[in-house]
Amino acid sequence: MTFFTIVVRGLLRRPVRTGLTLVGISIGIAAVVALVGISRGFEQSWAAGMKARGTDIVVSNMGSALAPKPFDASVRDRIASLPRVAATCAIFVDLTSIEDSSMMVVSAREWGGFSWKSLKLISGRMPHDAKEPAVVLGQTAAEVLKKKIGDPIQIEAKELFVVGIVNGGALVENGSVILSLPLFQEITGNEGKINIIDLRADPGMSEDDLKNLCAQINTLVPEARAMIAGEHVGNSQAYRFISAMSWGTSLLAVIVGVLGVMNTMLMTVFERKQEISILLAIGWKRARVIRMVLWESALLGLLGGIGGVMIGAVGVKVLETLPAIHGLLEPDLSTGLMLVSIVIAVAVGVISGIYPAWRSSRLTPSLAMQG
Amino acid sequence: MKPHVFAAVGLKKEFDDGRVQALRGVDFSIAQGEFVAITGPSGCGKTTLLQMLGALDFPSSGTLHYRGNSIPDLPEPAAYRAREIGIIFQAFNLLPTFTALENVQIPMFETDMRAAERKERAGLLLKSVGLAERRDHFPAKLSGGERQRVAIARSLANSPSVLLADEPTGNLDSENAHLILDLIIRLQREQNMTLVLVTHDSGIAQRASRVVHMKDGRIVSDLAT
Repeated sequence: MTFFTIVVRGLLRRPVRTGLTLVGISIGIAAVVALVGISRGFEQSWAAGMKARGTDIVVSNMGSALAPKPFDASVRDRIASLPRVAATCAIFVDLTSIEDSSMMVVSAREWGGFSWKSLKLISGRMPHDAKEPAVVLGQTAAEVLKKKIGDPIQIEAKELFVVGIVNGGALVENGSVILSLPLFQEITGNEGKINIIDLRADPGMSEDDLKNLCAQINTLVPEARAMIAGEHVGNSQAYRFISAMSWGTSLLAVIVGVLGVMNTMLMTVFERKQEISILLAIGWKRARVIRMVLWESALLGLLGGIGGVMIGAVGVKVLETLPAIHGLLEPDLSTGLMLVSIVIAVAVGVISGIYPAWRSSRLTPSLAMQG
Repeated sequence: MKPHVFAAVGLKKEFDDGRVQALRGVDFSIAQGEFVAITGPSGCGKTTLLQMLGALDFPSSGTLHYRGNSIPDLPEPAAYRAREIGIIFQAFNLLPTFTALENVQIPMFETDMRAAERKERAGLLLKSVGLAERRDHFPAKLSGGERQRVAIARSLANSPSVLLADEPTGNLDSENAHLILDLIIRLQREQNMTLVLVTHDSGIAQRASRVVHMKDGRIVSDLAT
């Protein structure tokens, strides 16, 4: 028998209570995994989308909405004239409901711009010209909208046709409805407006060079902000809000977990007053009793953490399949997030066990003779 | 003359800010290897005295020494209890979620013994109390006599030099009470331990080499048998 055996027996003494506490911690940790994983995944999938389009710098105005605010298309010309800018592509991105799908990414791109070139045609064709009433769908978008080549698709009040299905190399690209910029500007009444400029810099530029170029653009164009591709989503107010909400909700779940474990451990200590006083009477040091309670508590956290990570991962996978958000989520269920979640759970266990452990150490060994 | 194991002078213990006086000035000494029975009516202070000897509680005033060291001033009372003292309780006080073998190992966690050594020693101790066959049973599956034998084995886990027994046969029928008492006395003699046994049974007290009788927190007689 090892000290660990004693710790485990302590938890198995009341299996139902231990089980319910584990469920409580697991749900809290599952919330951490799911919410943080989704918000991080959102940022990462946008970054991957940028990379797939071959974009080095994104110029946009990420305000409080998920989609950036529009600005004048002439900004593109001012930026294009800067040295070390190899290419630009004006884009209008919107998150909007299309037919039965409540939220789809619509990506309207400057006709002939480099952002079209990264799209690999799976079936059908690309639009013939900027004015053709046609869209291409990312393969996930086609699945979500249940569209095939030749099907009509309603965007705002205009009926367009699906002419191609593409693989864009990233979740955001594959979940998008892609069409030409002039067509979308006309449909939405945003003539002369864009909200993103994809910028490709001269080859061989270091990250510092790119940052310098961003600084130049920011001086030149006060109505938008240039950032290295991928960073712009993380810097948007909307993303920050979502991220803060995720962490805030997770924190609440964790606090509930702390209270649950503390309650369980306090009850355990109160119920085992006699037992603990026997341990003290037969020579156990108070430090060993404290260690026993803390280990029990930490083990509850560890098991709850492992359970929570599993529930969170499965829950997110189930969420991904829901029609309303299919194709929009690419949660970051990285090993790092899993480990951090388990560390949080163990910390929850240890923190929750401190007060019960202290209470247990205050018990007097003479109580053993009063039983 | 044998050296003193315990020496108490003017030992007092008060509870509730002095409203209850459990010990009212006890003077005594106990020599190495002695078997001392402490008798007296309920509430006379005999269990309180035993608690003082085991450093389970500390006196309000007076002095109490173990082999010349002041018990209230011990830097680590737990270490004293773990190494020097074996305690046998009236209610056995076994831990219900551990087998007999595991219960006996529990005090050994305060030593440097490895897991295999602890298990081996616990097995030998259970054999010495006649419970080799019942080592893997949980307390709930053992009779009262068997439980007390496990508790005796546990009290010997760290080879103590003193055994403190608080009404060790109080929860047993007369047949088991005799068997348990015989076992305790045999082990005490074999290992030359000092045995301090609290009882209100005069028949049991007569087996001791010395009987200390208490009343109202004081020693009223101290006689060799």
